[in-house]
Amino acid sequence: MSDNKPLTAKERMSKPRNEMPLFDAKERILNFNEVPVGFSMEQAQNEASRCIQCKKPECIQGCPVGINIPAFLKLVESGDVAGAAQKIRETNFLPAACGRVCPQDKQCEAVCIVGKKYDPVGIGNLERFVADYEREHNLPRQPKISPSTGKKVAIIGSGPAGLTCAYELRIRGHDVTVFEAFHRGGGVMVYGIPRFRLPLQIIDEDLKFLEEMGVKFVYNMIIGNILTLDELMEDEGFDAVFIGTGAGLPKMLGIPGENLNGVYSANEYLTRIYLMHANEFPDYTTPLFQGKKMGVIGAGNTAMDVMRTGIRLGADVTCYYRRSRDEAPARTEELEHAEQEFINFKWLSSPLEFIGNENNFVTGIKCAVMELSEPDDSGRRRPVPTGEEFIDEVDTVVFSLGCDVNPVIPNATNDLRVNKWGVIMVDETTCHTSKAGVFAGGDAVTGGSTVILAMGQAKNAAKHIHEYLAGRFDYKLDVPTDPEAPGIQWSFAKRKG
Amino acid sequence: MTDRTKKIVKMFASRDTQQLQTALDEIAGLSDLLSTEKMELASGLAALFYREHTDRKDPMNGIMENAEKAMASLGMDVVDIILGHIVEADLEAVEHFARVIGNIESSIDAVLAKLDEHKDGQYAVTNLLLAIESFKDKDAIKAIDKILLFTKSDNPQVKAAAISCIGKTCRAVDTNDISQDLKNKMFDHCFAALSDPKALVRLRVVKALGEMVRYSYLDPDQVNKAHKAFRAILGMDDYEWDVAYIVRNEAEHYLHLCRSGGNNGYKSAANVDGFKQDFRVISKRELCPNTYHFRINAPLIARKIQAGQFIIVRPHPHSERIPLSICGWDRKQGYIEIIIMSAGRTSTESTNKEVGDCFQDIVGPLGQRSHVTKYDGTCVVIGGGYGTGAIIPTARDLKKLGNRVIGIVGARSKNLLIMVDELRDACDEVYTTTNDGSDGIEGFVTHALEKIIEKEKVSTTLSVGPVPMMIAVSKMTQEKGIECWVSLNAIMVDGTGMCGACRVSVDGKTRFACFHGPDFDGHKVDFDQLVKRQRMFVDKEKIALEALKD
Repeated sequence: MSDNKPLTAKERMSKPRNEMPLFDAKERILNFNEVPVGFSMEQAQNEASRCIQCKKPECIQGCPVGINIPAFLKLVESGDVAGAAQKIRETNFLPAACGRVCPQDKQCEAVCIVGKKYDPVGIGNLERFVADYEREHNLPRQPKISPSTGKKVAIIGSGPAGLTCAYELRIRGHDVTVFEAFHRGGGVMVYGIPRFRLPLQIIDEDLKFLEEMGVKFVYNMIIGNILTLDELMEDEGFDAVFIGTGAGLPKMLGIPGENLNGVYSANEYLTRIYLMHANEFPDYTTPLFQGKKMGVIGAGNTAMDVMRTGIRLGADVTCYYRRSRDEAPARTEELEHAEQEFINFKWLSSPLEFIGNENNFVTGIKCAVMELSEPDDSGRRRPVPTGEEFIDEVDTVVFSLGCDVNPVIPNATNDLRVNKWGVIMVDETTCHTSKAGVFAGGDAVTGGSTVILAMGQAKNAAKHIHEYLAGRFDYKLDVPTDPEAPGIQWSFAKRKG
Repeated sequence: MTDRTKKIVKMFASRDTQQLQTALDEIAGLSDLLSTEKMELASGLAALFYREHTDRKDPMNGIMENAEKAMASLGMDVVDIILGHIVEADLEAVEHFARVIGNIESSIDAVLAKLDEHKDGQYAVTNLLLAIESFKDKDAIKAIDKILLFTKSDNPQVKAAAISCIGKTCRAVDTNDISQDLKNKMFDHCFAALSDPKALVRLRVVKALGEMVRYSYLDPDQVNKAHKAFRAILGMDDYEWDVAYIVRNEAEHYLHLCRSGGNNGYKSAANVDGFKQDFRVISKRELCPNTYHFRINAPLIARKIQAGQFIIVRPHPHSERIPLSICGWDRKQGYIEIIIMSAGRTSTESTNKEVGDCFQDIVGPLGQRSHVTKYDGTCVVIGGGYGTGAIIPTARDLKKLGNRVIGIVGARSKNLLIMVDELRDACDEVYTTTNDGSDGIEGFVTHALEKIIEKEKVSTTLSVGPVPMMIAVSKMTQEKGIECWVSLNAIMVDGTGMCGACRVSVDGKTRFACFHGPDFDGHKVDFDQLVKRQRMFVDKEKIALEALKD
């Protein structure tokens, strides 16, 4: 670097974007290994050099956890990957996971200044590169942990929100215990995100890291049933509670035949495979009925995960979505990967009914053909039926229509306010719920979102829990009382304003 | 001697309680006592404490108490006299003196000085330690360093007295008034003495540790350590227990405190090994071929579970999660009871567990508790096969509410009838039915139910067992307009409503058995769909079971 003349902004921007090399689709559908190969050092430095180090970087605003992106890119460019890792870790402690599963195209990369004229800088791929480099080289991660405050915090749920909140509170010196209902930690990152997108090893290392920091984990604990929130705070001596239980209650289709055998919710299908290892049957004894012709309802990220899992288990997979490709809520990259992997898409098809045989097994799916009309409230063009219908033969159906909030804790806690969809109501600034000392974040308050938004909220909640524990919590709380009030929508645009 | 003291001291010689009380009252009435007068009175009172009074008909307890108070009221001037008695007095008298000195403000320094003076005298030291025990204010903190020295004594009497003294200090001094460092020292010194060869010392250690738990002197790790130690003493973790009954007895008493936390009724689940349960099999018995009754250590679940709720079990790290109903529990002893019939792979792996083995994971309590209320007519609980156990807790709850409860147990044959005696304990009456007539009524549970309906007014039924049985009961009750609850055992994965595997159609609506159930109105359940959904993985289950045999 020192010998060369520094690049001008124009030179930097006009370099072509380094695309992430992928394993060949024909081969990768035969296994559950990761799809992207990962950047080489050279590629990473080259891509990082595309950053023009804006004076007013919008990418930081675009990141729900506010990573200092230009700073870490500069370090990568100079070859100091360890420094870059430390820089990222100042604000995000799950970089390996985020680099893989964040929808960068809707966040940091969407507002990248370079992207205004050229392709945006590959921030996600670089974050992933840095995290992998750190892990592969066993670089020490040294979080500064403040002296013990003597305060105890209970975190419910060990998904992205719970783990982030645990981390943020632990480094501030609090005694943190994470309660998980399943027999292992990681939450949706384990049971909902496929191994070819996020290897188990990465999650386990992050969990181990937290344990080494002194965060305690207790599994098989259904808070609400085995201990109520009141018991946690009054009997067990917890000074504050964070609820990060996610959106664990699948939305049903409400059409005939939804309870046929072979019709799964995306949650069940993915949980059987990724949490319970049904694909390794009978070494693992959880069974899965996997047919040869699989239909998937929906076109979000989870639907993509289901389809790409189905094809790896040898099925011929078709996606049915009532709008068109442009309206599909999935991350662009996931959609592209799915298309590469030989998945059929039947856009503008809205399921009307599942047809079953005498043994209650699904044999067919009846769809209405749709067309798009005027935009609806969500800004997407509304699908309306054309009157045409068709029937496809299927022997497995997975519906991925999103989730409602899991009702176990709200049902067991009288003074925890939820809206009519079961979403936990919180004060938007502080994440404080209607119950004193209880905070919530992640899908439990949004009703369904992404890993990184959950983390962003958890971070914000942790900040305010810390203030609460230190006795510096002085806010006029505004927890909505209207049962029709929507969950918190945390777009970055709102954060700016 | 002044006249007034002379008069009172003379009265102390009396053997009449009335007269003694008058003398004590007179002391209270005196004012401006000179130092010498106080000492004279103290000597007189001291004599009282040496009196043999066990053979008296009218107890002197009240008098002695008042005498202690009177002596304490004399204050610092008489401390020397009292201490002089403490180092020499006989065992009974020393207790009186100890209580007196404990009630004199600021006398602790004098006691500690005396302790230094007599530090090699075994008898004097134990007595002085006893005196320190009776201090009820923060002054006791001053003594702790000295006491800790004596916990290392070679003399078991001194050592035991010192440790006992630490335990009593916890009662006198609020945990917030004492430094963490000192508390840690107290714990460490006591804990180290747990390996003392003398049962007396170990006894005092258990007691002291228990008091530390009770008064929140310990952090969770230390409570955990104490908990583990108590379990070891009781032979709960091992086959070896403490040979001395007095130690075991004491440990048993305080184990409960560790489990449920200290501080009078402060119940902490954290003290169950930091919320961690080991799911160890405590007992196992065969009820009939392939069907076993297990008692499993799961203290946190046992604290909370209610009739009708269920658990999810994974016997091994590679196992599937299967739901099982509960047939009993003991909240104090921290175990749950389940019945498992080996049929598929996972249930077979579960029944292969022996006493001392641990289940990999048990989650619970799950689902809603059974619907229980006071009915006009009789309540009938019906169990078939392994479901018989699950009706017992509900039967007990119904009975507690004052209902007349009749149980019916059905099986193919006599040797397959299970849990009948246990059900009898929970019900007013129990009928058995067998298909082959080898026991009770020949036929099905519905035959017994019909007989009951003929005889008396039946308000509600609860059935748990094979689906055909639940269908038959639902049909019969629907005809007669009787409430009918059925407990559905759908296929599940997570058990909290997250996956929806357990979907059942009730009244045309999709319900989750894990979360809305497991009990539903039998008249509204789509049993046909339930049966077919239960058969979803039949082929896979065969393969898994075959794999186990290989």
